[in-house]
Amino acid sequence: MSQLAMVIDLNRCVGCHACAIACRAEWAVPVPYRRNWVKRAGPEKTPKGMSFTFYPGLCNHCDHPMCITVCPVDPEERTFKSKDGKMKKMAVRATFKDPFTGVVLIDKERCIGCGNCVEACPYGARYLNEELDDPKADKCTFCVERLEHNLEPACVRTCISGARIFGDLSDKNSEVYRLVSTKNPLRLTSKEVNIGPNVYYIGKEKDLFLVKKTFAPHERKWENVKAPSRRRVIQAAIKGLTKAI
Amino acid sequence: MKRRNFLKLSASACAALAALDLSNKGFFKAASAKASNGKNALPGSLGSKDVPSVCEMCFWRCPIVGKVKDGRLVKIEGNPKSPANGPRVCARGNSGVQLLYDPDRIKYPLKRTGQRGEGKWARISWDEALDEVAHNLHKAKNKYGPHALAYFDHGASAEFMRDIFKTLGTENYTNEPAFFQCVGPAALAYLKTYGYITTGTRQYVDMKNAKAMLLIGTHIGENIHVSHVREFIQGLNNGAKLVVVDPRFSVAAAKADIHLPIRPGTDTALLLAWINFIITEGLYDKEFVERNCSGFDELKKSVKKYTLNWASPICDLPVEDMKRAILLIAKNRPHVSIHPGRHSTWYGKGDTSRHQALAILAALFGAVGVKGGLYFPTPVKKGNLAFGCVKEEPETPDESISEDYYPFASTFGSPTSRIIEATRTGKPYPIRLWGINGVNIIQTIPNPYHTMEAIKKLDFIFCEEILPTETALWSDIVLPGATYLERYDTVYTFDLLTPYLTVRQPVVKPMFEARSSFWIARELAKRAGLKCFNYNDEVEFIEEELKGAGLTLKSLNEKGGLVAYKANPYRDPKKLKVATEDGKIGLAIGDFEDEDLDPIPRFIPTPAPPKGYVRLVYGRSPVHTFSRTMNNKWLHNEIPENCLWLNDKVAQKAGIKDGEEVVLENQDGYRSWPIKVKVTAGIRPDTAYMAHGFGSRSKALTKAYKQGASDQFMITEYEDDPFMGASSHRTNFIRIVKAGQAINLPELCPPPKEIPRFVAKKNRTGGK
Repeated sequence: MSQLAMVIDLNRCVGCHACAIACRAEWAVPVPYRRNWVKRAGPEKTPKGMSFTFYPGLCNHCDHPMCITVCPVDPEERTFKSKDGKMKKMAVRATFKDPFTGVVLIDKERCIGCGNCVEACPYGARYLNEELDDPKADKCTFCVERLEHNLEPACVRTCISGARIFGDLSDKNSEVYRLVSTKNPLRLTSKEVNIGPNVYYIGKEKDLFLVKKTFAPHERKWENVKAPSRRRVIQAAIKGLTKAI
Repeated sequence: MKRRNFLKLSASACAALAALDLSNKGFFKAASAKASNGKNALPGSLGSKDVPSVCEMCFWRCPIVGKVKDGRLVKIEGNPKSPANGPRVCARGNSGVQLLYDPDRIKYPLKRTGQRGEGKWARISWDEALDEVAHNLHKAKNKYGPHALAYFDHGASAEFMRDIFKTLGTENYTNEPAFFQCVGPAALAYLKTYGYITTGTRQYVDMKNAKAMLLIGTHIGENIHVSHVREFIQGLNNGAKLVVVDPRFSVAAAKADIHLPIRPGTDTALLLAWINFIITEGLYDKEFVERNCSGFDELKKSVKKYTLNWASPICDLPVEDMKRAILLIAKNRPHVSIHPGRHSTWYGKGDTSRHQALAILAALFGAVGVKGGLYFPTPVKKGNLAFGCVKEEPETPDESISEDYYPFASTFGSPTSRIIEATRTGKPYPIRLWGINGVNIIQTIPNPYHTMEAIKKLDFIFCEEILPTETALWSDIVLPGATYLERYDTVYTFDLLTPYLTVRQPVVKPMFEARSSFWIARELAKRAGLKCFNYNDEVEFIEEELKGAGLTLKSLNEKGGLVAYKANPYRDPKKLKVATEDGKIGLAIGDFEDEDLDPIPRFIPTPAPPKGYVRLVYGRSPVHTFSRTMNNKWLHNEIPENCLWLNDKVAQKAGIKDGEEVVLENQDGYRSWPIKVKVTAGIRPDTAYMAHGFGSRSKALTKAYKQGASDQFMITEYEDDPFMGASSHRTNFIRIVKAGQAINLPELCPPPKEIPRFVAKKNRTGGK
């Protein structure tokens, strides 16, 4: 199985926030929501020396995405196609992991906007777009829509220093594979939250130390997700009905 | 509701639906969130119409494409044809969309109705606005003479209107804060040493190919100029060593092999000690110096007294660290980037000399015209413009506020501080009218209190502006300028390592009643009865410029709006000839000596903080430009306010916590607006730092107003650079005010006896 992944090189990153804004422009993400962010850490002393670094973040398209397990929408069979024409049928909820790309996506047609997945993500990578008349969950898609047109993700395209490297981790000739297998990258995990994020960070030890210390999630948020309110479900059902009729 | 119960509900709902035979149509099929532009429209920016143009969110001016869908600009990317930035733009470049669509924009010409500074306006017509300005230009000139007019300008929008002031005969027609508050001292030092402005708008330093780099007070990474940052990162990625001298642990310092947290104001001491060290130890490039430099013997003699042992207590740096750093650079010569710096108006006295010392250091390493070193521009050919502005017989004032005060000021115009003083005092001659274009002077020039006082004395003040900045609030007439996305400008050429020619062109039509800078200048000239601007519109003169490059607008656009050229940056060191008088790199500058100024840099200490205070320094926020972008919806959302960096030990002793909101009080008693403190080990105990441009005082900027504190309003004390009249910005000191109570800050690194303490001038007490 393929897994699209991103490597972020903190040695190259200067914390300019171009990625965050390019993403916002590309997908018309309303302020203050985010699909893509840059957070800052330091200057702070670490056991490896003084560090001042960044946490450019986005959806991790995890190996074991907990966000998709809390979606209350009834599973529906869907046919997935791979680039080389393979087909696979799978029953999925309104948010799911694509079996061929490993990208975690939201089916906006089926999302009821309950916000469960938003609450469940330990990285805060999802938001509920309440600016819409009919609120929907939204998040980074690794720009699959652009990939179909042979364009790189918007954040990668704009990155001024080439700090974001994107590709298929299952392809041993890819740059991401090379970096992940040789650079001892950081995955932003903890003892409590270890769900296989597919955004990898490389850089100086001191910087990786500080990013991990400051930003690694510890709360298993998906375990605290409450089911959506009866009102919300009924509303969604009525909307669905109206649409279907 | 428990998940289990919810599923039950969901199952029963399904059963109900099954009865309606709709279940396979998707129970939870909610209303579609598709964009209004139809089902077949491509998502995101895909399928847009791309218009090549040039960015002006800052003055690096990256080539861009505006991506337009249904007549609306949806996104900006770098122009993929550009050899400098390719498809990349920084956060600000990406956010140009929100400058264009900022609801706070000035939408039509305005006339002030309240007091100056109050921000009360009436809408007027373009005819009335332009006639009013033209009338006042003549009135002030006729009554007080041509020099009573002054023009403060910055950026592309200002270039055309400058010709009007020039034509009217004032010596105060170019007073760029860009020089007098920023690059002036460095530009002059390099111009005199190397015969060209190695650092001005651009920095000709080949970091991409460097084996080692030295940055002094230059915070690349927070200061974002895309191709410059790219080359810096490419150099590091290729294994270049990096030495950063900065009292703060900056983004660049965090990437450095050696960071020297120097005592502010002592950089020249360090540089002179290094120069002496490499001469004494024979680490310099003897052959290069002998062949290509003049004044070496004088230099050698002059710096003899500056030893590393002498510099150590002054700079507050261990001798070993200073030595290690310069050896790292020396080992890699000549392929070393001795970065010339950019913003250099730090301490007034000694600013030009500090950058002269940097220029000398590069020459001693032979790091000129070689890979990794300083390099030479590659001019790109284009046609000359003849606007036909006929300047009346120049009438020199009896006492010039430019060259009579500062021998090298007139290279750049009239010093802004002198204009403000002349306006305030009427001496040596009265200045009664200001025109302002592309610069928010109240948030740019030291002592904004003096600036506002001066404005009160004017007969007339007008500006061309896009947003209702403080300067607009203080203007009598405000002319709504078109943004860079709505207008043409002159042809742009880039003469660095990746030369190109491109052109700014409108991505969308001007919004509201905004007009292009050329249109405004041309209409104004017409109404003022001046013979100026021979072209009917921008396209006419752009075609003329392009003709000189063998292009037309059409052919340029067919090539993607940009043509790249081959660079010629390097020289054979055996055949090097620079554009100074004797063709040699000047290690001692005769022109300076002729004016009784130091021909060779010497160390002039800048006064240390008074007890209880720390020095205030400032820099850039990576997502903002000056004070111009704080109202931008997207950028404001990224970094809405600044914070004050305070040393952790100082904060602890003074009882100040991280994140706490405080007020700052400077040495003259002026107090800031509230600002949050960032407690960090990444700054010296005798220094505090904040990003520039925040704390807007204009209520009409609905997002930027009162967000953070303005460093400018803490800078009331300044000294002029004696060479060219630039104003110092790092000669002010602050302490903290909590709950109305001023707190003295502990002194953890007291200055040595060589550095005097700051003594407040009498009769200078600030308003609270």
